[in-house]
Amino acid sequence: MNKNEQQQKMRETAARLLDAGEAAYVIGFGETRFPEKTSILFAHNAEEADRFVWNDACVQSLAKYLLEDRFADYRVGIFARGCESRAINRMIKDNQFKRDHVHILGIPCEGVNAKRCASCAVHNPVVYDELLWDAVPEPNPETARFARAEAVEAMGPEERYAYWSDVYSRCIRCYACRQACPVCSCRECYVDMDRQGFQGKRHSVSDNQTFGVTRAFHVADRCIECGECERVCPMGLPILGQTQKIIKDITQLSGDYQAGMNAEDGNFLGAFDLDDKDDFM
Amino acid sequence: MAIDKTAGTAPGAMIGLSADGTEASAPKILAFCCNWCTYTGADLAGLNRMKYPANVRVVRVPCSGRVNPQFILRAFQKGADGVMVCGCHPGDCHYATGNYFTRRRFMLMRNLLEFNGIDPKRFHARWISGSEAAKFRDTIAEVAAQVSALGPNTRYREER
Ligand code: SF4
Ligand code: SF4
Repeated sequence: MNKNEQQQKMRETAARLLDAGEAAYVIGFGETRFPEKTSILFAHNAEEADRFVWNDACVQSLAKYLLEDRFADYRVGIFARGCESRAINRMIKDNQFKRDHVHILGIPCEGVNAKRCASCAVHNPVVYDELLWDAVPEPNPETARFARAEAVEAMGPEERYAYWSDVYSRCIRCYACRQACPVCSCRECYVDMDRQGFQGKRHSVSDNQTFGVTRAFHVADRCIECGECERVCPMGLPILGQTQKIIKDITQLSGDYQAGMNAEDGNFLGAFDLDDKDDFM
Repeated sequence: MAIDKTAGTAPGAMIGLSADGTEASAPKILAFCCNWCTYTGADLAGLNRMKYPANVRVVRVPCSGRVNPQFILRAFQKGADGVMVCGCHPGDCHYATGNYFTRRRFMLMRNLLEFNGIDPKRFHARWISGSEAAKFRDTIAEVAAQVSALGPNTRYREER
């Protein structure tokens, strides 16, 4: 199937779903005035579903929009690639909603954005109600999954500090990374709290840097490695490296670890093993 | 009346600045100590009149699992040269399992700090029980020596 046929299939499936009343609306991609950009489209009926598009400009992760309606008593339909399906699993694991709150239309994807999809390890949705077309071959699991983290690890301590302080000196604290992250599901984010002494609000390298590390640690074992944080950063900061490093360390301690592959496992920091190593102490 | 800046109550004296505003040379070490073990161990060290470097500032926490990694970053921001998290030995947690979470959390945090260019000698996690006054003394001495050798920490430090 080429992308045009896939797009047609997506429109038809969404229309069928909406006509049957199986979902209140379906989340997908819509057109904008710019050919290289798409917007998020919430289709409530078959007519609107006919405006769904599917092309290489569909770079946003749709999953985050599920959180807007996480308490709704109706079902929501959503198109899900590998990354979105892992995000949905993670949201279910984090008790944001129940599995039957969403009707997942699985769309296997071979990557849409060279930058964001570079470290993608899961092209096919891992959870879905129906799969719209045949699964695609998965990428080589070793394709540079931790490339960003490894590049920084290879530096000396001085260089690493210089690297990150240069990165965070450019951070404008817009919190787009937090906003786009599908596992940042807190109803009130700690950066928005005005409690004194919690997170400095100043635009200084020190406060930016502690924000960056804290955000990474909040996401930590829940990071599904989709790279949305990096894609949305208006300053183009390579912040995925921080969570990649955490996931890499978890992998070293507990064997292969990939968050969001199912809705049951994957709680490294919220669990323990009596035999965990403490040789770092 | 002019304020005598050399007096003991000079601004900054409380936070380890000398009267002319420069840093006191001693490193400042912040130790988060679990109420049920390390804090009691520190108390015992005091009762036994053991001598250990005065660089350490102890913050009592109900469990080492109470320590949010952000506390560590905040301590560095506010001028700590070294930070410690001390809790009960595995199996001895007052709340049964708190320190097992601590162990995982700070294993990752230590590596993340190192990844961000903070010398791992500036951050230590240790198990010290309520009866291990001597271990408390020795650990403080060891950490103080390591941190002194590194000199004052400027990384993550808040500019004033
Ligand atoms: S940065 Fe932390 S507090 Fe904010 S939404 Fe993400 S996980 Fe929640
Ligand atoms: S998106 Fe980029 S610039 Fe904005 S807060 Fe995150 S790291 Fe900083």
